[in-house]
Amino acid sequence: MNRLAIVCLMAVTGIASAQAPTAAQRPPADLTPRLNRAADHIASINAQADRVADYDTLRNLQEIYGFYFDKALWDQVVDLFAEDATLEVAQQGQYVGKASIRKYFYGLTGGKQGLSYGQLNNQYQLSPLITLGADGQSAHARWRALIQDGQFKQSANWGSGIYENEYVKQDGVWKISRLHLFIHFYAPYEGGWTRTTPALNARYGKSAAKPDRPASVKYETWPASYTAPLHFESPALAGYRLAPENTASAPPPAAGATRTVTDLEAQVRALELKLERLRSASDVENLESTYGYYADKSMQDAISALFAQNSTLEILGRGVFIGRDRVYEYMRRLGAPTNGTLFNHMQLQPVVTVSADGNTASIRARLVVMFGQLNSSAQLAEGTYENRFVKENGVWKYQSLAGFQTFYTDYEQGWGKHSSAMLSYFPGYPPDLPQSVKYSPYPEVFVPPFHYLNPVSGK
Amino acid sequence: MTMTRRFAALTLLGSTFLACTCAMGGDPIITDSKILNEERRLAILETKLASLQREAALIEDHRAIERLQQAYGYYVSEGKAAQAAALFSDSPAASIEYAQQGVYLGRARIEAFLKASGARLRPGEIRETPFMQSVIHVAADGRTAKARWRSLVMGGMHGEDGRWTEGPYENEYIKENGLWKIARLHWYTTVDASYDKGWHRQPYPAAGPVAELPPDLPPSIVYKPYPNFFLPPYHYANPVTGMPVAWDDNQAGGVR
Repeated sequence: MNRLAIVCLMAVTGIASAQAPTAAQRPPADLTPRLNRAADHIASINAQADRVADYDTLRNLQEIYGFYFDKALWDQVVDLFAEDATLEVAQQGQYVGKASIRKYFYGLTGGKQGLSYGQLNNQYQLSPLITLGADGQSAHARWRALIQDGQFKQSANWGSGIYENEYVKQDGVWKISRLHLFIHFYAPYEGGWTRTTPALNARYGKSAAKPDRPASVKYETWPASYTAPLHFESPALAGYRLAPENTASAPPPAAGATRTVTDLEAQVRALELKLERLRSASDVENLESTYGYYADKSMQDAISALFAQNSTLEILGRGVFIGRDRVYEYMRRLGAPTNGTLFNHMQLQPVVTVSADGNTASIRARLVVMFGQLNSSAQLAEGTYENRFVKENGVWKYQSLAGFQTFYTDYEQGWGKHSSAMLSYFPGYPPDLPQSVKYSPYPEVFVPPFHYLNPVSGK
Repeated sequence: MTMTRRFAALTLLGSTFLACTCAMGGDPIITDSKILNEERRLAILETKLASLQREAALIEDHRAIERLQQAYGYYVSEGKAAQAAALFSDSPAASIEYAQQGVYLGRARIEAFLKASGARLRPGEIRETPFMQSVIHVAADGRTAKARWRSLVMGGMHGEDGRWTEGPYENEYIKENGLWKIARLHWYTTVDASYDKGWHRQPYPAAGPVAELPPDLPPSIVYKPYPNFFLPPYHYANPVTGMPVAWDDNQAGGVR
C-alpha cells in the first residue's frame, strides 16, 4: 500500500508540474455554488439512506419482538412499545398503554415471566410488508404470524394470523405504537387446521388481565372468509418506493462559517460507510438464505465455501468444528440426498446487525427443518441460529455458525407428545471442541444467547 | 518521442491514483494544494457522489422488491387474483408458472391463471402463503432484479385433510416508470403432501395443467417433486467462489 501511494504521489506531482503553467494563468474559480450543490447532494443521499435504515430497523424490531415472545421474555417485549401504545390480539379486546400491555403479557403465563417446563410458545414473524410514513416518524407493517405452541404431554397447536401494526419514531428510536394480530385459525396438531372451529380459534391470546376496551373490529375466523385491512392499499401509502425523491437540501453553514471541500470530504466518507453497512445487511441476509438453500440439498462443497478459513461450526449437540475443511467433512456426514429423502432447512426471521465499522455482522435466525424418509419416518424441528460473519477482501463469509435446538419431534406424534433428545456427536467423527453451551432442549426451557441488546431500552 | 511516452505513462499512473482515492475510503486525504488543488478535490467528490447516489438507489431497490413480493403473497393468500396480477409487468413476455402447470404469458393470462388456480380460494379453502428466505440481486443498472424465495403453504379444504406445500420461487423483476413489477414468477414444488399422513407417507405429484385453461407454453422444466430429488436451478453463483452451483452426481458421495 505504501509503495503504491508513493507511486501515485509521484505520478500526480508529475502531472501537476506539467500542467503548472496553464493553472497559474487561470484565476482561481469561485467554488461556492458547486460546494453548495455538493452539500445538497450529500443531504439528499443521506435522507434516502436514512429511510432504508428505518426500514431495516423496523424489520428487525418486529423480528426481535417475535424472538422475545417465543420465550415469554415479557419485560423485553413490553420495552419495545411506546408509552401510549395499544395492543389487540384476536377478539380479546384492546389493551391501552404500557402498564396494561405488561399485564396482558404476564396474564398469558400465570403472572410470571419466562416459559415453564414443557411449554412451547413459538410465534414466527414472517413476510414483512413495511410502509414508511411520509413524515419519517411513523410506519405501518403487515406481517404473517405462524404459531406453534402447546404443553408437552398435554397439547400442541398450529396457528396462523396477520399482523397489521403501527410504529412510531421517538427521539430517534422506533417503537411499536399499535400491535394488532388478526387470527385466522388456532387448531390442535391432531387433525390440523382444516378441522378447526371458531371455538378452537377463539382460544388464542387469552390473558388473565382484563382489556381496557372491546375489540376494535369484529370478524369471524377461518373457515369464514375475512381479510384483515391491507394498509398498503391506502392511496396515501401506495407505491413501492421507500424513500421520497431526492429533494433534501443541506442546512446552511453556521453563521460566519464557509463550506470547505475538507468538510464535505468527511461527510462523504461517513455517507459511504452508511451505504456500505446497508448494502452489507442485505449481503449477509442473502448469504444466510443461501446457506439454507444449499443445506436443503446437502451441498457440502457449496456450503463449506461460504465459511472463512478459521471459522467454527456448531450445530445442536454435535460439538464445535474448526476450519473450513472440517465444515466440509461435517456436511459430508449428513449424507447425500437421494430419492425418498427430504432435508428442508428453512432460514427464517433474520435479525441482521452490521458492526459500526462495517467489517463484521451477526444474524439471529429461525431454523425450521422438515425431514423425511419415504414410507418410514418424518420429523419436524425448530431452532435458533446465532451466526457471525466477516468481510474478507470485500466478500462476506461465515465466521461462526451456532445452531441451538428448540425441539425435534416425530411428525406423526407432534411436539405435544414427543421430543427427541439433543442430537449428539457423530459416531466416529468427534468434534474439535465439546459442545460450548450445555443445555437441554424442549420440553426443558432454554433461551439461546442474543447477539443484540433490546433496540429500545438497550438492555 | 521519449517525452510523450513518459507523459502518457504518468497520465496512466495519475488515473490509477484517482481510482485509488475512490477505492480506499479510509486513507488520509491529501490536502496539499500543490498536489491536488481544491477544484480538483471537489471534482473527485462530485464524481463520487454520483456513484453513491446510484448505490443508494440499488440499496433501496432491494427493499422495494421485498415489499412488492410480499404484496403478491398477501394477495394470493386472500384469493385476490386481480390485485396480484396487477403487480406484473406490462410486457407481453411477463409470465407466471407454478409446479407443472405450464407457462401463462401477459398480464391478462396471468390473471386468468391466478383466478382459475394460483389464487383461487373456494369457500372453506385456505392457502396461507408466506414468502420467506429471500436471496435478492438487483442488476447493477437498477433496471432488473432476480430473487429466490421459499414458501411453506398451509392449505386445504375445511373438514378435509390439510395440505403441506413447500418449494422455492425463482422470480424476475423489472422497473417500469420508476416502479418495480414482477416480470417472471416461477414456483417449483419441492414437496406437496397430506397433512394427516405426512410427506413421508403421502406425497402428491406436482400439480399439472388446469384442464379448463390450457397454458400458453408447456412447463419450462420438467421434474418430479418429493419423493424424487430435484434441485431447482439457482439464478446466482456461489457468493464466495463465484462458481455456478448445480447438482453433480459425483458430489453425492456421502461418507457412508
